[in-house]
Amino acid sequence: MDNNRVEMLVEELEAGSKHEEKLWRKLLPGVVSGATGNNLRETIREPLFGLLHELGETALGVKLKLVIERTPTFPAAELLPLVLELCGELRHDSEQAVRELERILSELATPIIRIWREILLVPLIGGLDSDRAQGMAERLLDRVSATRAKVVVVDVTGVPTIDTAAGGFLIETFSAVKLLGTEVILTGLKPEIAHTLVKLGIDFRMVAIARDLEDALRQAIAMIEEDRSRQRKIVWARGSNFPGEGEGGEHDGI
Amino acid sequence: MAGKLRELLDISENDFDVVVRISREEDIAIARQMAKQLAQELGFSLADVTKVATAVSELARNIYRYAQPGKIMIRKRPEERGGPAIQVVAADRGPGIESVERVLTKGYTTHERSLGIGLSGIRRLMDFCEIASEVGTGTVVSVEKRRRKF
Amino acid sequence: MAFKEKVVPTIRIGDSLLVPIQIDLDDKTVEQLQAQLLAEIQEHRVRAVILDVRMVEVIDSYISYTLTETAAMARLMGCRTVICGIQPPVALTLAQMGIELQGFWVARDLEHAIGMVCSP
Repeated sequence: MDNNRVEMLVEELEAGSKHEEKLWRKLLPGVVSGATGNNLRETIREPLFGLLHELGETALGVKLKLVIERTPTFPAAELLPLVLELCGELRHDSEQAVRELERILSELATPIIRIWREILLVPLIGGLDSDRAQGMAERLLDRVSATRAKVVVVDVTGVPTIDTAAGGFLIETFSAVKLLGTEVILTGLKPEIAHTLVKLGIDFRMVAIARDLEDALRQAIAMIEEDRSRQRKIVWARGSNFPGEGEGGEHDGI
Repeated sequence: MAGKLRELLDISENDFDVVVRISREEDIAIARQMAKQLAQELGFSLADVTKVATAVSELARNIYRYAQPGKIMIRKRPEERGGPAIQVVAADRGPGIESVERVLTKGYTTHERSLGIGLSGIRRLMDFCEIASEVGTGTVVSVEKRRRKF
Repeated sequence: MAFKEKVVPTIRIGDSLLVPIQIDLDDKTVEQLQAQLLAEIQEHRVRAVILDVRMVEVIDSYISYTLTETAAMARLMGCRTVICGIQPPVALTLAQMGIELQGFWVARDLEHAIGMVCSP
């Protein structure tokens, strides 16, 4: 008797896949039997979770409505807390997945590349929120400190917009890099970003600006050459004071 | 406002992991050291440990300069919703602040040897900052920083 | 200046003064350091001071204010000030508080700092 009703309902529900049909067949006998209590909850928990996964909340709701209409003994009171519980579980799972993806993305999105002797390139991609910006700043500073890089080139071509908060993060990061004694060159500012930045009163005057990556690299190399020639002069001057020690004194940095 | 202040002033010391009374200059360094240790225990990044220690240094100095004796109370909150967090409460029954809004402005100071960066700097370093004060009753500053996700 | 008044040992290189700060700075020591440096600049006709803060773990607003003040005073005595060895967490903290070390030349390390003060 119940079997017939289950079959009829399954037909009416027009399952989109064999898998869905199987889940309904597992779920419905318990629902139409009029059973209650823990027993019922245990038997329908798994197929219900499967259907939630398969159909999503909205579609499952529509189909359950149909089942309720056809089933006078529908155990709504039993089902409701179970559904809420399962929804919570589902959300928890997806939240965890999103968090993990965010973490992976944030590392992928801010590579720090040594493109030249003593020059680091940071191509920024995507939006800059507080956590990401701070994580990026910490990794960059550690790298600058460990490699003793003389210049950091920050390329923001891949950043869609820069608002006050993101502009503030960039300024903080640049100031922090400069406190390590390292120069910063900023490049990749699109016209619309330049427009909003000026409107917001952010001028990045503490850093050098380059037209494009090529220009940035040229400026960076020039900075390094200048620094090196100054070092050379000192070694030479020392050499004149202590004959024989000057020439070999020059060394190569990183 | 005044109710909030009383509530914060009456907060129980027993709820905190560490209570440092600020009456000598050395106490500033002690409070800073304790904050650093607790932030480290919660797994904060080295930069965030330094930020917490610096904020505590500012809070302790404010008490030492303007409102001693006062105390710094620190607790770990490993079970917070947004992830583990550290909370620091600086409480004193000193003269109080006339305009909280004004002291939060960068550059404002009543002390001749200061940058006027203290409280506004603390607010920038921490994720949450609440100040309750009343002239003649005292001041409570409660700040929090949570561990970053990445 | 009597040795006991020195909070930080200093090293003279030519007309520069190297100041490796090996202690954690607090309000009192940073004030003493200021007095000590000004006295040494005067006494030894120092033309450049190099502050090496590699070992300093916390620089808050008061410490940075006193250091900035010292650099400004030194400048008025004809002496430039270079700071080097700021640790990444300290740099991030200063930057987030919006503190600029005005009046300082910032060097990557001691070698860079010496290069700065020795160049013509």
